[in-house]
Amino acid sequence: MENQTFYYDNKIVKNFAYATLFWGVIGMVVGLLLALQFIWPALTFGIPYTTFGRIRPIHTNAVIFAFVGNGMFTGIYYSLQRLCKARMFNDLLSKINFWGWQLIIVCAALTFAFGITTGKEYAELEWPIDILVAVIWIVFGWNMIGTIIKRRTGHIYVAIWFYIATFVTIAVLHVTNSLAIPVGLFKSYPIYAGVQDALVQWWYGHNAVAFFLTTPFLGLMYYFLPKAANRPIFSYKLSIVHFWALIFLYIWAGPHHLLYSALPNWAQSLGVVFSVMLIAPSWGGMVNGLLTLRGAWDRVREDPVLKFMVVAVTAYGMSTFEGPMMSTKTVNAISHFTDWTVGHAHIGALGWNGFLTFAVLYYLIPRIFQTHLFSRKIANLHFWIATLGIIFYAVPLYWGAITQASMWKEFTAAGFLKYPNFLETVTQLKPMYATRAIGGGLYIVGIVLGIYNLILTIKAGKFLPEEAASAPALAKIAGKRGSGEGVHRWLERRPVQFTIVALVAILIGGLIEIVPLYLVKTNIPTIASVKPYTPLELQGRDIYVREGCYTCHSQQVRPFRSETERYGEYAKAGEYVYDHPFQWGSKRNGPDLSREGVVSGRQYKPNSWHFNHMLNPQRLNEQSIMPSYKWLITDDLDLSTTAKKIRVMQFLGVPYPDGFDKIANDDLLLQAKGIADDLKSQGIQVEPTKEIIAMIAYLQRLGKDVHAAGMPTATITGK
Amino acid sequence: MLRDIFKSVGNIEIYGLISMIIFVVFFTLLILHTVSLKKKDVADFSRMPLDDFSDESKEL
Repeated sequence: MENQTFYYDNKIVKNFAYATLFWGVIGMVVGLLLALQFIWPALTFGIPYTTFGRIRPIHTNAVIFAFVGNGMFTGIYYSLQRLCKARMFNDLLSKINFWGWQLIIVCAALTFAFGITTGKEYAELEWPIDILVAVIWIVFGWNMIGTIIKRRTGHIYVAIWFYIATFVTIAVLHVTNSLAIPVGLFKSYPIYAGVQDALVQWWYGHNAVAFFLTTPFLGLMYYFLPKAANRPIFSYKLSIVHFWALIFLYIWAGPHHLLYSALPNWAQSLGVVFSVMLIAPSWGGMVNGLLTLRGAWDRVREDPVLKFMVVAVTAYGMSTFEGPMMSTKTVNAISHFTDWTVGHAHIGALGWNGFLTFAVLYYLIPRIFQTHLFSRKIANLHFWIATLGIIFYAVPLYWGAITQASMWKEFTAAGFLKYPNFLETVTQLKPMYATRAIGGGLYIVGIVLGIYNLILTIKAGKFLPEEAASAPALAKIAGKRGSGEGVHRWLERRPVQFTIVALVAILIGGLIEIVPLYLVKTNIPTIASVKPYTPLELQGRDIYVREGCYTCHSQQVRPFRSETERYGEYAKAGEYVYDHPFQWGSKRNGPDLSREGVVSGRQYKPNSWHFNHMLNPQRLNEQSIMPSYKWLITDDLDLSTTAKKIRVMQFLGVPYPDGFDKIANDDLLLQAKGIADDLKSQGIQVEPTKEIIAMIAYLQRLGKDVHAAGMPTATITGK
Repeated sequence: MLRDIFKSVGNIEIYGLISMIIFVVFFTLLILHTVSLKKKDVADFSRMPLDDFSDESKEL
């Protein structure tokens, strides 16, 4: 077959590489600001745009989708062309992918700062941006599969399998989890409610980790590690088992984020079993990566690319062991809602994703600029400072998590909670939070050194936008299976069919977990006393979502004595049936709020307390780390949206009476006046149409319906 | 844990059973496939990243 000359598109690789570095710094600096707010809450500067609840989604989205996302595209666009021996399918699609992705990131940062959010973790984008994400993602997939189809190689290398799985799974997850009914351009309600919303959200949330932070990076590992080590992968057979086992098992594990919640026990158990099974393929991948270096370990000492890769793969191994352990109920009872989860997530993000991204950048930037890395010494310094940063980041959080969980669960000899004031358990952690901030700072210093090194490398080199390569054209291969050709061998050369089979593999787990929750009514027993929110409470709930209160406060009391003693009745599935979206949260920087409105409860506070607390939390408690929300007192409630919100809720099945939308604002003002009058009696003058009134109304509603049902506390085991 | 999956909860135990059967069948077939692969093919596939015939493959 005649050799064909063609050109790799390095320009798109360069663009994504630059975007990776830029967004990496932004995302991590915002993360550092968040870390410092734990020590100095005043660092919100008294304005809404920098409060923890609003910038935490900026940090997580910037790191996941901007830094890691652009890093993923950099590596895929570079390796895919070379593995297919073909230029990208279409340059215009590449450009749309790049600029569209950057537009999404800018829109995300702006909307989150302005409080435009769905209130679902890692899926906070509102519906117009969600549609943009879907379009750009399809552009990426179209370009990728087009490139694979026009390849000049017979076999599709295993790295590309991981890229294909990434594309199809993220598409399914994103579309399914983002289904919502718009109230306006910047506000929507998800079609799911309560327990169902929680299951879909964490099916998405967990698998965003799996298929955005893991599978594409495993693909990059399978390409760049052999390249950097100049050795073939240790076991190709193992990579095949690794691939199918990982994508098949991962999709089932989402419910491990909802252990001890109101989610039915069978779904929790499925999540646990499949999470534990996940150790096998995850470690299979790690072992395959590390053993590729057999005979090349001496080079690890010298080569910064290999150094970064070794720590990345090791961090992957650590976090994929830790994850299944945290998924067992025994460990989860301690780790959930604490900083353990944050430490775990950062071992993955900083170690696995961060280090592998920099390994890829250190590998490919000198090559596309036809030069050597400017300084190995600086790269090594980056490596050591960042490694130290990870340790300083994670260790204090593990320490803090166990400290806090122990304090939450400790009883006196007389049988009372030893630390009934939640704040005591937070102030105890301040030294750990300070050390974590130092760790994060060190990691950023490492990145700045890395960027400096790469800029000098770029300056010293000459960019090669069109890189010549040659390969024989791919001989026409019959679509049907050849004689003696197995089904899988046939699939390995048929990208479209391969994509369909991968899609089926990932759909099985999702369908088996999610469908029964909708079809079998006994999964969510209803509670007669649970009623829809009043219009004022609904508006207040939307402010709660807007301010990201769920980033610090859970609304889910677990069935432990330590929790029912502290907060009140444990969570029931039926109490969340009108919650679009659910607001269970995943981390307690402050106490659970789901029983806040129970007048006879342990968490109850009067309206005046809430007013003063929102105005200045430190005036009520000097040690509080909550920021002020003083704008709620001066900002007017947007009454123009009430009727539309009620209509959307009715459409979603919330049983407001017919025509209620027309009188919703009258109802709202009546309830608001009651709260304003109560505040006035306490010496606080505030108009009933201010946002603070709606927020107070919502907080005072929490838990009331379950309490009204007079539910006996069930038998509770352990602490 | 497994008992929770298989026990009768609102007639959904069939889902747990189906999932476990799919799991076992899926991996049995997968293992059989990988065992049956030819050595030469596997060696060729695993060398793919190293055989890209482009300028960048030169040592820097």
